[in-house]
Amino acid sequence: MGLIALRTLLIPAFVACLTVTIAGQAGQSVNYKGLEVVATGIERAQNVALIDCPPTTNSQRGNARPGEEFAVVSLSFKVTPLFKETFVKKPVMTDASGKVYNTSVAIIDPGSVSEYKCSFPFRVPTGTRVATLQIDTASINLASLDKK
Amino acid sequence: MDIDRRAFIASLGGTAAVSLMGSEAKADALEHWMEDQLDEQAAVQGAPEKFPTVAELEAQIETRNYRRGTGNVFVNTRGNVKKLAPMPKNPTLQDFFRLRFAPANHVLQSATRALKTGMSEEIILACLLHDCAQALMKADHGWWGAQLFEPYIPEKSTFGIRYHQALRFYADADAGYEYPDLYYRIFGQDYTPPPHIEATYKMLRNHKWYMEPRLVTVNDLYAFDPNAKVSVDPFEDIIGRHFKTPKEGLGNDNSPSAHMWRTLANPDAPL
Repeated sequence: MGLIALRTLLIPAFVACLTVTIAGQAGQSVNYKGLEVVATGIERAQNVALIDCPPTTNSQRGNARPGEEFAVVSLSFKVTPLFKETFVKKPVMTDASGKVYNTSVAIIDPGSVSEYKCSFPFRVPTGTRVATLQIDTASINLASLDKK
Repeated sequence: MDIDRRAFIASLGGTAAVSLMGSEAKADALEHWMEDQLDEQAAVQGAPEKFPTVAELEAQIETRNYRRGTGNVFVNTRGNVKKLAPMPKNPTLQDFFRLRFAPANHVLQSATRALKTGMSEEIILACLLHDCAQALMKADHGWWGAQLFEPYIPEKSTFGIRYHQALRFYADADAGYEYPDLYYRIFGQDYTPPPHIEATYKMLRNHKWYMEPRLVTVNDLYAFDPNAKVSVDPFEDIIGRHFKTPKEGLGNDNSPSAHMWRTLANPDAPL
């Protein structure tokens, strides 16, 4: 009985450890299942290239509407031997008030290239201050990069 | 200006397509391509592209000997049309891809992205077929496409094909769809969709299947890569599972859209 009770306590604790958010500051590397991710910059734009990640040569560009702009987050990726995933969720961005924004850029075949840089545009109301970027359980603090 | 020979040939549909072009058509094509490259370079360098207005596009109508909504099998904007290869006796979807929709690079890229991002097979199929009807008719191609494929594919795929035409005019950041430059360029920067498209959009916003056509538009945007290498082969299983190929062949099965397949098979019929 004692062993069963111990298992009952330890297994959820172990699972909680596995699912804990991996957090990092801007400029610091965050390791997501063997994929090292660094936020390198944020720019604002009205018109952005629509290119998946790792980068392709897609020719389309997207446009913000009046009163909106794109907060374009640049990320640098490094694939380590530990990285085995074939699918990585799209990043989501959170502003200072906690509102979540999605991007149209998808991460496709993330292990196909050893190192790459990608830009993720998020359409936000003009002047929005960004706070964090999340890729599944990995979180990166963007506030210090945002010069808005 | 440096010319990337490989990219230029790819933009024309490959070496086979180029070999069928006359020297004048090739020269015209090269000129168009260089203009496009210059436009892209200007955009990359941060110079805002000057998009035409609706009035400017309308003013171009009488400068052409064809209408912009005409299907690709009926017109060659860069020279004379060529004799088409005959269709097999009992043609399949793959035969139409090979002999009438080719190179079909855009729809293949779109479906490849849907496949790699883990979308449902109904959506992958819708992406694969969403612009194929442009061979027959560009204007209202979503509705034409839905009608063409409806007897053979799942209802959700038909829904996605029909309504991507309306949703493409409306950005949806939550779903990851942005309004593309392409539409400023081809519809005009001051274009507003007509009332029936606006009404369709409002209907779709409240529809339980909203995401079917929306995801077609999402993949549509990312399928304009001149260097992408794609093939219909990865979709053989999905076509096998979801496309009800008639044993008589498309066009010979007396379905409600059989006449559309026959027209695609033989667009040179005078009447």
